[in-house]
Amino acid sequence: MKHTLKFISSIFLFFSVFLGQAQDTPEISPNKKDTIVKPKTVTSKPPVQKTEVKKDSVVKTDRYGLRVGVDLYKLTRGLYDKDYKGVEFVGDWRLTKKYYLAAELGYENKTTDDDRLNSSAAGTYVKAGFDYNFYENWLDMENLITIGLRGGFSTFSQDLNSYKIYNPNPYWGELPAITTDQKYSGLTATWLEVAMGLKAEVFDNVFVGFGVQLKLLATNKKPSGFDNLYIPGFNRTYDGSFGVGFNYTVSYFIPIYKKKVVVPEIKEAPKK
Amino acid sequence: MKKLLSILLLFTFGLSSCEKDDICDANTPTTPRLIITFYDIANPTKTRNVNNLKVIGEGMTEGIVFNENGTDETKYLTSGSTVAIPLKVNDGTVTYKFIYNAASTNPTSINTDVLTINYTSQNVYVSRACGFKTIFALKPVAPFLRTDPDGDTVWMTDVQLKNPNIESENETHIEVYF
Repeated sequence: MKHTLKFISSIFLFFSVFLGQAQDTPEISPNKKDTIVKPKTVTSKPPVQKTEVKKDSVVKTDRYGLRVGVDLYKLTRGLYDKDYKGVEFVGDWRLTKKYYLAAELGYENKTTDDDRLNSSAAGTYVKAGFDYNFYENWLDMENLITIGLRGGFSTFSQDLNSYKIYNPNPYWGELPAITTDQKYSGLTATWLEVAMGLKAEVFDNVFVGFGVQLKLLATNKKPSGFDNLYIPGFNRTYDGSFGVGFNYTVSYFIPIYKKKVVVPEIKEAPKK
Repeated sequence: MKKLLSILLLFTFGLSSCEKDDICDANTPTTPRLIITFYDIANPTKTRNVNNLKVIGEGMTEGIVFNENGTDETKYLTSGSTVAIPLKVNDGTVTYKFIYNAASTNPTSINTDVLTINYTSQNVYVSRACGFKTIFALKPVAPFLRTDPDGDTVWMTDVQLKNPNIESENETHIEVYF
């Protein structure tokens, strides 16, 4: 548990560095605008009013559409980890300038080998919610740094492959692991997650993204006589109801329509 | 942006490899032992301390360790009023020799009784860190059998069943009056 806490806190620490940087950039341009532009507008105001609007504002087009992608981490993990098979598809739909509807759909089959237990969990999951982009882009850039909320639902089954009996007084000797083939099916779990992510456009319409999620288990239907040690989509369970996850995605943006936004802007600003 | 991304990627791969497994807490109730409490036959409501009792499982050379800090001789001896006896996890019967006055140099004062315990067992899930535990139930018919192989009189005058369900070590399962 200590390690988990360290993990979570270091991720947040890391992201806080990010937040600082992310908020830096947009603040520079308004400041510059204020200092440099104002004298200009004051002088140009009395003679011509019509041209002033065109000169100082830039028409920016925001593209709206659907972004679909896949989690590369889950996909490639199956190649080197024989105990894991999984895939996750991600998608988002731009609702407004800053809000995106977002969803993930996935399948996981993972065998967990603990000291005293060996079990497999397999099932599908869906997560849906929204992302809020707080990254202010320059010009036509479409990068995202988002914070979002998701509701998750998973339906899965578990297989208990082998277990050891904990005997603190092994007077008669320690027993080897007992192999069984106990299957527990019809299990479900729901959870809430806070997702932080960033997506950068590396080629035209192709985005590379990274995200971490902090999860809180809401309902967890446990099998009688066993526990849910791994929940597809939620990942490993802990004593409490917290969980963590991350993904590394590649996605493609399908533009569907455009909206023109009039942004008051000056050419000097992007140069910095 | 791309630079940051690659740094983040490296960072998470590093982190994902240091997930550590929990360790089973010693206070977690796991596989229980059979608890035998000794009572005074003359005054059955009062517990009575045994004198240098040594308990050895059938086929074993060493006794049950009652006193971790004792020397080679004394760590197998107890002079309390209860003993905790490990049952065989993978069997339905276990036999122990109860040697009274085991430390005595006078062979006639040493008295050995044998107790065979019959039970059923069940494996129960505890937690990820501890795995499973085994709990036991003494058989309704002939839960135990006391014999006296060395032919002298038995020192366990009366053996009574108190609680057939061995699920924790907080209660007495068998009472011995002497």
